[in-house]
Amino acid sequence: MAANDAVDYDALVREDRVHSRVYTDARVFEDEMERIFHRGWVFVGHASEVPAPGDYRLAWVGRYPIIMVRGDDGEVKLLSNRCRHRANTVCQIERGNARFFRCDYHGWLYRNNGELASVSYPDGYDGSFRKEDYGLIPLPRMANYRGFVFGSIAPSGMSLKEYLGKAAEQIDLFVDLSPEGEIDARGGIHKYNYRGNWKLQIENSMDGYHPNFVHKTFFGMLRRKGMQNPTANFGGRSIAVTRDFGHGHVMLDYRECNRKAPILSVAPGAPEYREAMVARYGAERAAEIISSGGTHLLVFPNLVMIGVQLRVVRPISADETEVYLYPTLLKGVAPELNQWRLRGHESFFGPAGFGAPDDLEMFERLQLGLKNELDPWLILSRGIHRERREPDGTRVGHVTDEVTQRGIFREWKRVMTGREEEAERAEGVRLAAVD
Amino acid sequence: MESLRERIESFLYYEARLIDEHQYSEWLSLWTTDALYWIPCNSDDADPARQAMIIYDNRDRLEERVLRLKSTSAWAQQPRSRTRRLLSNIEFRPIEGGYAVESNFILAEMRRSKQDIFAGRVMHTLRNNGDTFNIALKKVLLLNNDDPIDNLTFLV
Repeated sequence: MAANDAVDYDALVREDRVHSRVYTDARVFEDEMERIFHRGWVFVGHASEVPAPGDYRLAWVGRYPIIMVRGDDGEVKLLSNRCRHRANTVCQIERGNARFFRCDYHGWLYRNNGELASVSYPDGYDGSFRKEDYGLIPLPRMANYRGFVFGSIAPSGMSLKEYLGKAAEQIDLFVDLSPEGEIDARGGIHKYNYRGNWKLQIENSMDGYHPNFVHKTFFGMLRRKGMQNPTANFGGRSIAVTRDFGHGHVMLDYRECNRKAPILSVAPGAPEYREAMVARYGAERAAEIISSGGTHLLVFPNLVMIGVQLRVVRPISADETEVYLYPTLLKGVAPELNQWRLRGHESFFGPAGFGAPDDLEMFERLQLGLKNELDPWLILSRGIHRERREPDGTRVGHVTDEVTQRGIFREWKRVMTGREEEAERAEGVRLAAVD
Repeated sequence: MESLRERIESFLYYEARLIDEHQYSEWLSLWTTDALYWIPCNSDDADPARQAMIIYDNRDRLEERVLRLKSTSAWAQQPRSRTRRLLSNIEFRPIEGGYAVESNFILAEMRRSKQDIFAGRVMHTLRNNGDTFNIALKKVLLLNNDDPIDNLTFLV
């Protein structure tokens, strides 16, 4: 590939393998920013992080700094963190509450719904300057599913509902672990970074083949304490499965392993919790929710949901990534149960946890290995011969199979090659014909 | 005869040396059975009842942390971190059965050709144990507890 040539994504991604440059090439990263993060739906935050009018949190959509804020009107908004005058960020602090955002450079003042409230010394502008034309620009599209706030920089495209598809049912299972059907995402934030490509984190989050190797010390400790040990769930004879719902939304599904002894059955106050769940959802649905254990899902490209946590992946460059973990609290449960969730989360996750740092070590080793391109391919063929389709189109395989990685790259390639737009144009033509 | 200040400082320096020289069993033996090794996350006063911490180890979990450090398959410590730390600004006051001690620290950590610098304030609760002390609480207020950290699997 010459420096100015467009990257040939059909050549870099095949059904059963991907090329090293997918993870290392700065031009690929630029294309990812433009085509994935500055066009499609990107997860921004959970509405429970900003419960009261004026509550805000800074966020990123690709490279765009934005503010997720609940305006005085009670609505969550995604506003550009950029003064309309000369581009300074108008909010500097990650989380807080504000009625106004003021640009400290020349004093322009915005209401927390984004409207420009005042400019300094307004007689310097003539009658053609209208304040209503200079509010903080909202993200062109925003949508909220059960408090999960997504934004898109593209003014048009498929709806969030259509984009999520069957992944929405997994979001339901995560949220419905609360007997009130609501979570609170203000359980602290674990923040970490690593010297590796962002896709390593999302692939690893959905990788049922690695845990018995990368996390053997953690599983060994569970065994030592006589606790439920997930080694068998990730072994060759596991009854857990991988699922690919399309659009890059993939999951590890352990429900079949958990039905007999779901993890929540050993939580403090488990009998009362179960009772409250049955009262709210009925016995059958409650059992389904509890055995899902809070799902294990990737919402492509940047949101992972595992058990207790939301995991948000932020690409910085081809070989640098930041990850924020938001352990969530369940509304309507005993405080002891939420504390048990928090302590359980800490034991594995975060920069000093007993599990996640070992994954980061793998990413950095992998990023180093990628530099050797004598055989530039990474093999994603595991279980391709035994992958099956369900009637609704979901692809299913063994938990150790790379159904999930193939699902991620199928979507990645579709978006990177621009076939999404072709499909939309075709759809537009079809709809026009119907009209 | 050592002064009280000398006894407390010597103990803190001894603890620091055990960590920096990877003498994990000896370090673990300094702790009480009701130990709490605590590194708050996001802010120094984060509430463990409602928020996750970077570390919130009771005695059991502390022992597991040491097991991991001794293991050869805790990959985030293969190769292991080399550390050296300085303690200063030591202040203390008597409490029932011991002393509440605060100090500042700077810690250099070297691993995989990358050196990271950590700094902060440590709050020790020391219990009298004859001529020496046991650690009941070690709470570390990291300056960067609200910023991304790639690896904090060594002892702080």
